[in-house]
Amino acid sequence: MTPPLDLSRRQFLAASSLAAATALLAGCAPGTATGSTTQTLQFWHLLSGGDGVTMSSLLDQVNQAQDAYRIRPTVLAWGTPYYTKLAMAGAGGRAPDVAIMHATRVPGWAPGGLLDSWDLDRLAELGVDESTFPEPIWNKGIVGGQRFSIALDAHPFVLMFNTDICDAADQLDSDGRLKETSSPEEFLDQLRAVGGASDGHALSYGYLGDGAQMWRLFYGLYAQHGLAIDLPVGGRMGIDKDAAVESLRFMQSLLDGEIAAAQNDYGSAVAEFATGKSGMLMTGVWELRTMQNAGIPFDAAMIPTIYGTPAVYADSHSFVLPHQANADEGRRELTYRFVADMLKGSFGWAEAGHIPAYLPVTSSPEYADLIPQAHYAEAADHVVYDPEAWFTGSGSNFQGEFGAAVQGVLLSGDDPAAAVDRFERRVNALLAQPNPADPEGTWKQ
Amino acid sequence: MTTTASTRAVVTGRKSTTPLRAAGVQRREQLVSWTFLAPFLITFALFLIWPIVHGIYLSFTDQSLTGAGGGFVGFANYAEALVDPIMWQSMWNTVWFTLLSTVPLVAIALLMAALVDRGLPGQWLWRLSFFMPYLLASTVISQIWVWIFNPQIGAANNILGALGLEPIAWLQNPDTNMLSIVIATIWWTVGFNFLLYLAAMQNIPSQQYEAASLDGAGAWRRFWSITLPQLGPATVLILILQILASLKLFDQAYQMLGGVASDTTRSIVQYIYEAGFVNYRFGYSAAISYVFFAIIVIVGVAQALVTRRKKEL
Repeated sequence: MTPPLDLSRRQFLAASSLAAATALLAGCAPGTATGSTTQTLQFWHLLSGGDGVTMSSLLDQVNQAQDAYRIRPTVLAWGTPYYTKLAMAGAGGRAPDVAIMHATRVPGWAPGGLLDSWDLDRLAELGVDESTFPEPIWNKGIVGGQRFSIALDAHPFVLMFNTDICDAADQLDSDGRLKETSSPEEFLDQLRAVGGASDGHALSYGYLGDGAQMWRLFYGLYAQHGLAIDLPVGGRMGIDKDAAVESLRFMQSLLDGEIAAAQNDYGSAVAEFATGKSGMLMTGVWELRTMQNAGIPFDAAMIPTIYGTPAVYADSHSFVLPHQANADEGRRELTYRFVADMLKGSFGWAEAGHIPAYLPVTSSPEYADLIPQAHYAEAADHVVYDPEAWFTGSGSNFQGEFGAAVQGVLLSGDDPAAAVDRFERRVNALLAQPNPADPEGTWKQ
Repeated sequence: MTTTASTRAVVTGRKSTTPLRAAGVQRREQLVSWTFLAPFLITFALFLIWPIVHGIYLSFTDQSLTGAGGGFVGFANYAEALVDPIMWQSMWNTVWFTLLSTVPLVAIALLMAALVDRGLPGQWLWRLSFFMPYLLASTVISQIWVWIFNPQIGAANNILGALGLEPIAWLQNPDTNMLSIVIATIWWTVGFNFLLYLAAMQNIPSQQYEAASLDGAGAWRRFWSITLPQLGPATVLILILQILASLKLFDQAYQMLGGVASDTTRSIVQYIYEAGFVNYRFGYSAAISYVFFAIIVIVGVAQALVTRRKKEL
């Protein structure tokens, strides 16, 4: 006879808490490899919604194509929460193997040692070099002469248009593309014509309480003057006030209540266009899926060049190497391979609306057949990013400051010149502050 | 002697007889009591005392969230904060919110409590529905009011439209966004003050009202002369709790505006957060929080002095 299991209450409690702790700790252990030689790479990104679904399927694809590595993605909320966590992980030297950052955020991070640089020779061996990227996108990844980011895409601010409504307004050419306009007046005339054929407004543009939306349109228009805003470290903002005021006045003329609703937020503008109530929508390419799912007849184009120089506001999702105190050579090698695999497989990323940065993908015949993506692919050659400074970029305070300064111009007809002055004061105050990633200013470009 | 001692030992739970043994027992008892206190003391020291001390230290450095910096910079952060217009604007926004929210939060709570306590049938239903919003998380009430205040399809503008008024961009227009946050906050938290007032009212002995009625006092007279004076201590408690809660303004404002910084709604707590976690300047962020702390202490001490003098008079 076996004696019955004789546990005292304390023994029982001790044993069960030990078991629970073991189970909990096991959850912290790095993912077990499927094969004995397969390494698991940690990958952080901020893509959710439709972009997140597309990213998951791309990751499945690269995972299944080989046995050397397996990607374990961690998805964090877009914007400040993501960048705060990634910065802290990098500061601790125990960062993920690879992460996605907006290319515009990299210049603020590179000086602080939060990022490790990419080795161009190793990338070239994998078929990734200068010749495989549009020039402005490739150059954006260089900070202080070193390469800190490899772009996966460019996601510009574009013009989507309802083909039925624009056709009824006689604004399509023989190929079904939107007729070109080359001055503010021509574009406004076109919009008025579209408004006549639409049940609601000619244009949907949501901006209320959304500094990024105001900035995207504004900076694209400003750059069409052949200008850029200059933010020298410790200096003062270089801005052409006439061009800035002109761009804001044009935005005001769009929001007259006839062409576009005077008060619209982002979500309402997207909904207005998606339900076929307006002829055009100014938005980022990431809303492409939304419109396809809505089932409306639409196409997309670059924002018309109305001030002479083709320029499109954009940002790029880019691969970065968050700083690791003791980077494992084998894992780094695999990380390079992963990035090359992702770039080569980025055709799927185009389906989410983004323009793949990797030229062999966008120059393929399949991509030329991908409509409407192919209709705005040329934007990749004319992308304009945020001016470089530690405080600029997607999800930063800079775009919020812009919104705070100019919303009154769009909403209540305030004086554009006063708004530009106000924005300038705020930016100069930021320029006077040290880069928190490098407060002593020891890092030299 | 020994018998008494041992008897006492049984009564008090002590088994020792000699002074030496007594000392040992005392030590052991102290050990036991410290052991029981330890979980609290450790948590208290680790999560309250240490952050306060470390925060003061940080405010004198240029420590960054990115790990860079950390060098001693003296009073540079404080000097910067005291001339930072955004800090003062945020400070004023916080005070303005406190003024705008505290008055109605006390007055409406009193009104609701008086109605429920006196007249309305089905007391439990009123109590429940007035208190219910307070149980919701700030994220939930933010979502609800973001939809109510939606400029295109929100309930608030539908009501304005039905009244023949122009729609308002409640949360996006700098002229109305603070007011919108105040309205949402009142709806959210008035239930707590209401409950405190109701409890205080129900503690007032009914004999006083009966006696007053016999003397010919009407409902208003009874409210002014019996109810209100007896609510004095409750009002002081509610006011203090409310001012403290309002000064902490952050979550609903941050969430309802989608994390967007607006000059007219940015509270001091939000600015502390932005300085530390958006702009990565831990040192500066710590300095602002101690400036805020110092102002609260000064106001608190001043208020204590004033009330004490009143009592002396």
